[in-house]
Amino acid sequence: MGALTKADYSLDIAPYSLEVSPHHVIRTIAYNGQVPGPLLRFQEDRLVTVAVANHTDNNEVVHWHGLFLPSDVDGATEEGTPPIPPRGQAHYTFRPRPSGFRWYHTHTFAGGDLKKGLYTGQFGFLLIEPRENRARYDQEVFLALHDWKASLLGNPDGSMDPVYEVSTINGRMLGHGEPLRVKTGQRVLLHILNSSATEVHWITLAGHQFRVIGLDGNPVPQPKSVSMLRLSPAERVSTLVEMNNPGVWTMGEVRKHIMAAGMGIVVEYANNNGKPRWQQPESLEWNYLDFAAVDPAPSFESSVTEIPLVFESKFAGHGAMDRWTINGKSFPDTDVVTLHRGQRYRLLFKNRSTNDHPVHLHRHIFELRRFSGLPETHGIFKDTVLVESGKQVDVEFTANDPGLTLFHCHQQNHMDEGFMMLFRYA
Amino acid sequence: MHNSKPFFLYSFLSQRRRFLQCVLCIAFVILLCGTKAFAQGNYEIQVYGAATVEPKSTMLELHSNFTAEGQVYTVDGVYPTNHQLHETIEITQGITNWSEIGFYIFTSAQNGHGVQWVGDHIRPRVRVPDSWHWPFGASLSMEIGYQRAVYSPDTWTWEIRPIFDKAIDRWYFAVNPALERTLHGPDVSQGLGFAPAVKIGYDFTKVVSGGIEYYADYGRLGSFDSLHEQQQQIFAVTDLNVSPKWELNFGVGIGPTAATDHLIFKAIVGRHFTWGKQSPVD
Repeated sequence: MGALTKADYSLDIAPYSLEVSPHHVIRTIAYNGQVPGPLLRFQEDRLVTVAVANHTDNNEVVHWHGLFLPSDVDGATEEGTPPIPPRGQAHYTFRPRPSGFRWYHTHTFAGGDLKKGLYTGQFGFLLIEPRENRARYDQEVFLALHDWKASLLGNPDGSMDPVYEVSTINGRMLGHGEPLRVKTGQRVLLHILNSSATEVHWITLAGHQFRVIGLDGNPVPQPKSVSMLRLSPAERVSTLVEMNNPGVWTMGEVRKHIMAAGMGIVVEYANNNGKPRWQQPESLEWNYLDFAAVDPAPSFESSVTEIPLVFESKFAGHGAMDRWTINGKSFPDTDVVTLHRGQRYRLLFKNRSTNDHPVHLHRHIFELRRFSGLPETHGIFKDTVLVESGKQVDVEFTANDPGLTLFHCHQQNHMDEGFMMLFRYA
Repeated sequence: MHNSKPFFLYSFLSQRRRFLQCVLCIAFVILLCGTKAFAQGNYEIQVYGAATVEPKSTMLELHSNFTAEGQVYTVDGVYPTNHQLHETIEITQGITNWSEIGFYIFTSAQNGHGVQWVGDHIRPRVRVPDSWHWPFGASLSMEIGYQRAVYSPDTWTWEIRPIFDKAIDRWYFAVNPALERTLHGPDVSQGLGFAPAVKIGYDFTKVVSGGIEYYADYGRLGSFDSLHEQQQQIFAVTDLNVSPKWELNFGVGIGPTAATDHLIFKAIVGRHFTWGKQSPVD
């Protein structure tokens, strides 16, 4: 992090009152007085400097999610990125890569304060422009799903988890933001981000299909049309929508109580008006493997080093959030696993808890290789994957970016309660 | 989850001791009947938690309470409590996510009297919705019902029970400062009685919790009975959180005052049922 470099972009972290509807104003922390923060477009591999000023009373740090960055600018203090002190400033200078739809967000501890960390409005879209545009589209739209006004509530499995009063798309409740205006025949490229601190979301657009072309900003080998998207916290989906059904429609959360909390946006064709139409799905559908390569996956190679990672919870009382462990230990006591540069590794995510976990590997991208009880797969590259309760997911990556590397569950309350570990390079 | 609903059917107890004390005891009770005639009634011994049963679901509970050491004489036409086994069926239906209604069937089994129906109560309850973000759970229960005179001189009673609870880490606290009133019976002119209940629990594991429950009836508001005449009971209890579908609570209680049954064993077995198709999109 350079201190004297001239900045190309600037971010101001400061308190902000977000009007999600005329009846709901949320006092939060935001970037540049807006939620989501400003859309940042960087050129792949071209040096960029972002000046960040922290106008709050707490340490802050900005994580550049999905990029291959040195540990000291990646934006996780656990890796060695310096925190930005209260009223302090920092300059992040790096060569952004790889290209694709990424995002940036705070990476601080919230603990029992459900108005800090990822519970705030500190998130924004980050597009690393490729040298060549792969997708053909007429309009590009960025949408962020977020949940607000969290409180802790006992859940049936015995511990406490956050629940939310308000849910938004791009900081507005359904009916209270600008509609997404389209024209008949357009191909609209939607970049959708789930920036929620803890919630998985299912999204549908009534009367239309999503043609999924990218996951976590990386092109999928087999684009496919689906009626519904599932995004766990930190996941992104890039999808093309053919605007071929004129009218006024609602795009929003499939689950009724979250739609009722505000998670929706109106899609309005030119020269159409009236009440938005909604078609309520009756099931939740999503399968990563729909977008996997069709050719047979290469079998597991013995040269690949396996690293089993077992996720379990540790009960802390019916009036507390669970503690979380990886291989029996909670951060900062988790083992630091040593990687060798150039070596291929297979991480075996074994979820022995009753919660699903969106696990995220910093500074690297991994390939999905196997889900519980299913044959090997390949071709889908991600930085975050949802490991369902009681299931196992295997992913592979090549250790090609030396430096401390954080791995954690992207649910704020889980990482705060110990669900983190570090990899180091030999 | 602590979503159950206790109450003490009636408050005041006649006393039981040794044979040499009996004449004095009977005289004491007769004297009290002129001022206060709540009867012994350990039919549902439970400190309520603030949560309510969810809509489209029902909680079915069986409360089994055995008085190992209680009143041994028939007093003023009321059967003795000693060695009575009380079986109470409680059916609670969730209405909204902040309201429920409960229905009770009280029975008693005892040598010489067989199995007897004692009475029925109905109990609507509302709670503070989660969206209010109160720092503790709060609900309000109203209970009204009938019980046969051979089990309680006051045959129609009414109770209003505020309920507050809070879980902090492994600790659980609940307070029920209940007010009772007789609608028909000797105590109809006695006004409101104060009958608080308190629970403190601790989670030893995710499944096993242990704690103390305290039940009391101090008598008429503004004119509490002397300690000797008050009902005071303390139970050592355990809650087994084996599944969200089941509620299991067991305890043993002692009554140190003369007006209290002296040794009671209690058990609550509850099963949660959901009705209708559970849609993943609801």
